[in-house]
Amino acid sequence: MRTVLLASLRTHTRRYVAAAVAVVIGVAFVVVTGMLSASARTGMTASVGLPYAEADVVVTGLDGAEAREIVRAAAGRGDRAAVIGFATERARVEDRLLTDNVRVGAVADDERLRWQEVREGRLPDAPSEVAVDVNAAKSDRVGLGDTVRLGSGDRVVEAEVVGLVDTPSAAPGTDFLLTFADLETFVDGLWVDGVVYAGPGAGSLEQRTDRDVVPAPEHVQAVQADITRGVDVLATMLLVFAAIALFVSVLVIANTFTILFAQRARDFALLRCVGATRRQVLRSVRVEALVLAVVASVVGVLGGTVLGLAIVAVVRRVVADDVMGTTLPSPAWYAAALATGLVVTLVAAWLPTRRATAADPLSALRPHDVDVRTTAGRVRVALGLVAAAGGCALLALAIASHEVVPMLAGGIASFSGLLLLGPVLVPAAVRLVGAGVTRLTGTPGRIATGNAVRNPRRTAATTASLLVGVTLTTAVLIGLASSRHTVEEEMDQQYPVDLTMTADAPLADDLLADVRATKGVVDAVELAGTTAELDGQGPVTLVAAPEGTTGVLRGTSGVASPEPGSIWLPDGLLTEWPEDGRVTVTVEGRTRRLSLNTGEGWGDAAVVAPATLARLTDSTTPRAVWARADDAADPEDLAGDLDALAVPAGADLVSALGERDWVDLQLDVITGTVVGLLGIAVVIALIGIGNTLGLSVLERGRENALLRALGLTRRQLRGTLAVEGLLLSLVATVVGVVVGAAYAWVALRTMVDAVADDAAMVLPWGQLVLVVVVAGLAGLASSVLPTRRAVRTAPAAGLGMD
Amino acid sequence: MTTTTSHVTPTLAATARGLTRVHGRGDAAVSALRGVDLDLPAGRFTAVMGPSGSGKSTLMHCLAGLDTPTSGSVEVAGRALDGMDDTALTLFRREHVGFVFQAFNLLPMLTAGQNIALPLELAGRRLTGAVRERHDLVVDVLGLRDRLSHRPAELSGGQQQRVAIARALVTEPEIVFADEPTGNLDSAASAEVLGFLRRSVRELGQTVVMVTHELDAAAYADDVVVLADGAVRAHLVEPTADQLVAALRGEQVR
Ligand SMILES: Nc1ncnc2c1ncn2[C@@H]1O[C@H](COP(=O)(O)OP(=O)(O)O)[C@@H](O)[C@H]1O
Ligand SMILES: [Mg+2]
Repeated sequence: MRTVLLASLRTHTRRYVAAAVAVVIGVAFVVVTGMLSASARTGMTASVGLPYAEADVVVTGLDGAEAREIVRAAAGRGDRAAVIGFATERARVEDRLLTDNVRVGAVADDERLRWQEVREGRLPDAPSEVAVDVNAAKSDRVGLGDTVRLGSGDRVVEAEVVGLVDTPSAAPGTDFLLTFADLETFVDGLWVDGVVYAGPGAGSLEQRTDRDVVPAPEHVQAVQADITRGVDVLATMLLVFAAIALFVSVLVIANTFTILFAQRARDFALLRCVGATRRQVLRSVRVEALVLAVVASVVGVLGGTVLGLAIVAVVRRVVADDVMGTTLPSPAWYAAALATGLVVTLVAAWLPTRRATAADPLSALRPHDVDVRTTAGRVRVALGLVAAAGGCALLALAIASHEVVPMLAGGIASFSGLLLLGPVLVPAAVRLVGAGVTRLTGTPGRIATGNAVRNPRRTAATTASLLVGVTLTTAVLIGLASSRHTVEEEMDQQYPVDLTMTADAPLADDLLADVRATKGVVDAVELAGTTAELDGQGPVTLVAAPEGTTGVLRGTSGVASPEPGSIWLPDGLLTEWPEDGRVTVTVEGRTRRLSLNTGEGWGDAAVVAPATLARLTDSTTPRAVWARADDAADPEDLAGDLDALAVPAGADLVSALGERDWVDLQLDVITGTVVGLLGIAVVIALIGIGNTLGLSVLERGRENALLRALGLTRRQLRGTLAVEGLLLSLVATVVGVVVGAAYAWVALRTMVDAVADDAAMVLPWGQLVLVVVVAGLAGLASSVLPTRRAVRTAPAAGLGMD
Repeated sequence: MTTTTSHVTPTLAATARGLTRVHGRGDAAVSALRGVDLDLPAGRFTAVMGPSGSGKSTLMHCLAGLDTPTSGSVEVAGRALDGMDDTALTLFRREHVGFVFQAFNLLPMLTAGQNIALPLELAGRRLTGAVRERHDLVVDVLGLRDRLSHRPAELSGGQQQRVAIARALVTEPEIVFADEPTGNLDSAASAEVLGFLRRSVRELGQTVVMVTHELDAAAYADDVVVLADGAVRAHLVEPTADQLVAALRGEQVR
């Protein structure tokens, strides 16, 4: 059999290319995942120890004030201590607003605890000096000598930029570094990762604080372990997508083998006639599959390594040198990737090889074409019905009980049922769509439809691979669109006003007009008010929300129309919630007790109803302007423009747009990433469609030649194949979108209804239409190569073909 | 049915007793063979003739162990085929039976030489010593020496059939079956192929059973078995042309 094996390999190599590509992509995916996670792990853990290198112990679990105490006490004892942490503050550079949330940290007071790398200038040594991270400086256009204003309200630090520093990205990234004395301004909002401590007193520190004190190396290890865990979670998620891609590969490979072996049925039968035992034939085709498996897996491993190195290089270049090391996956990972490729291929080849070699020798002697028509077996249909029905029952159970396990089981079962019933369902769907296409294209459409349905099992297997990808993509798109909707509603509650300007002194009369005239502002209102005393809180700005405020707001927050006799205060203004839920408000000797509401997102002002304000004072002045931004407006530009109005007016601008934009961006990134990763499975499926078409073209050489001889033009033949590719991909896509939507609905009812009862399913129509269009075009594209082959053959040559 | 009684050689290459073969079931059932009794002597060139659909191919397949009879027994090379499983039948075919079909005789991806050596390779026999001598003899007798490295697609129909004959003969089988080996050939190529088949009987001492419906082809054979409606109508030893025509017409011979 060796001669036969070698000759087969030589002859059929080209037909295995698509199957090999599917394996290569899947294996490369696994290797790249291993490479990225290994590199991220080394990159991120390598620099993590830097801030702790010179410390003896690390104190964790502190708030800002406690951290300050330890640093002060250390200085008193002659020990050294520094805070690793940051406050999130607003930053202005030379009167230009950067953003509302830069991270501000401090360098250690003691030289020895300083770990930042100075790129230009020096580190801050005295108050009113600041160093800026090089990357932040680049993107925010900040240079040495610039004056930076950090903070808002009465907690502001003005400092001169004295240096540009590079900070390892794994450390809590800070854009601006002050001296600790300056950072103390923000001590209330300081987020403290830990206090590094060195010196003779380190050993006894444990007795002087009730917080956790751990030796520095131990702390570093814990942080590294945390990072490793995080990376591992990400790697696992990537591997889920790799598994999906590999599953699709199995479908594509199995289909390729089935088609190839059907075409070679006569060869196998002849071999059997001249004395090859069934086992010899079986072994020969299995070795063929093994060779394919080994070659494809090795290529996948090599390709994955090269691709991984390239991605790491790009990341290091684009993001930062130290986010990633350049680390190859472990030998075990490589071995697993290789084994995965082998197993996937061999599993996929198992059934087709068995079926192929079951052929009896007599079939070689039957004259003429072995027309490879297949039908859905009765067992298969019965199994499919049972799986589909059982799966649907489980899904119903999942909705009723809000349990995830029956949902997953039901999803898998019903989808398996769908795949099993494919040979019945898909041809029916193809006929349906095909009838429409035939009306448009005439003969090519009719022939294409006939070709697409003449082999139901093959058609079903071909579309199944695409169906998997499209179903998952649709479900994910709908899921993300729905959660985006929910998140947006939440954001509307949290940030009812896009932009607020609040002042503790009267605003200029023309400010409202100026704000309204600013590009990107849809509407704005002016809130009149005064300064009030609040239960010993000191003076606060008290404003009344006039009628029409609701129009400026997003969502429906009560702050837009306070009940008479009630007051809305920003969260965190009161340190304690009054027992009776009321606060005393005093304006120029007039006092009222008002019932208290709290919330956030409208700046630093207390809000009451106009009637309530009127009872407290007769003379009000413009104190705040609230504006609603156009959805398309650029958050940074708009905030910058309004800040330019607010600063001279003495008002404080608060913008929620940045936050909104950031949440939007995150959802966009998640959507893009998931769709991109699923896209790999879709690409494999499309390769599969092209492959089926290509192999079918070989099979139908004779009849295509006959059609050409009978007068089908080259164009029409090309059209026939294009329509067939289009039919296959469209049917898979449309079914996938419908089924995916159904799964998304089930998931929503199961998982979200349990926690919130009004979660609406949002259909991202634009994206779904895009999915259908892209898949349709790709189906057309997949017919390009087979088409070229088909039309190249002259009618006479085709008729003589075996 | 008429059978002449004067056998030239006493040894039999193949025998069939009460052979029936029904294709399909129920209403669609077709009786291709309805009780065939046949003795095929060794060392002779026997032609099996009969109208299309008379069961010639089915008979051949049953005799060669490619098809399982519905009832009756077959003995080839002194071995009873009934009761053998698929693997046993395959090993039996490999060692004792050679085939030439009308078309699709050769694996397209192998060269002529590889096709010829295929049965040897399948049986794990090396091309050395006696095997090699036999191989070379067959190749030379069939005049294929300079065609060995060609692929089937590069050979004419007649050459392809010669390669198929060489492959059938290379294992020195007890019996060679040929099912309309000249059905796809022009008359010159047919004559050539039939000549080789006869030479293999005369010079190599083979037993050849050839299905054909051409009188010209049958003329090359020693004996002729005439089938009609799934039964043997006549088994003629070295018939004259007239006897043969008469038998085919359905007349009682002698
Ligand atoms: N696989 C089969 N299934 C059903 N009927 C068959 C099959 N093979 C042969 N037959 C039928 O059996 C009869 C004999 O066929 P065959 O042996 O091929 O005849 P011949 O070779 O003499 O032309 C014919 O009627 C044919 O239609
Ligand atoms: Mg026949």
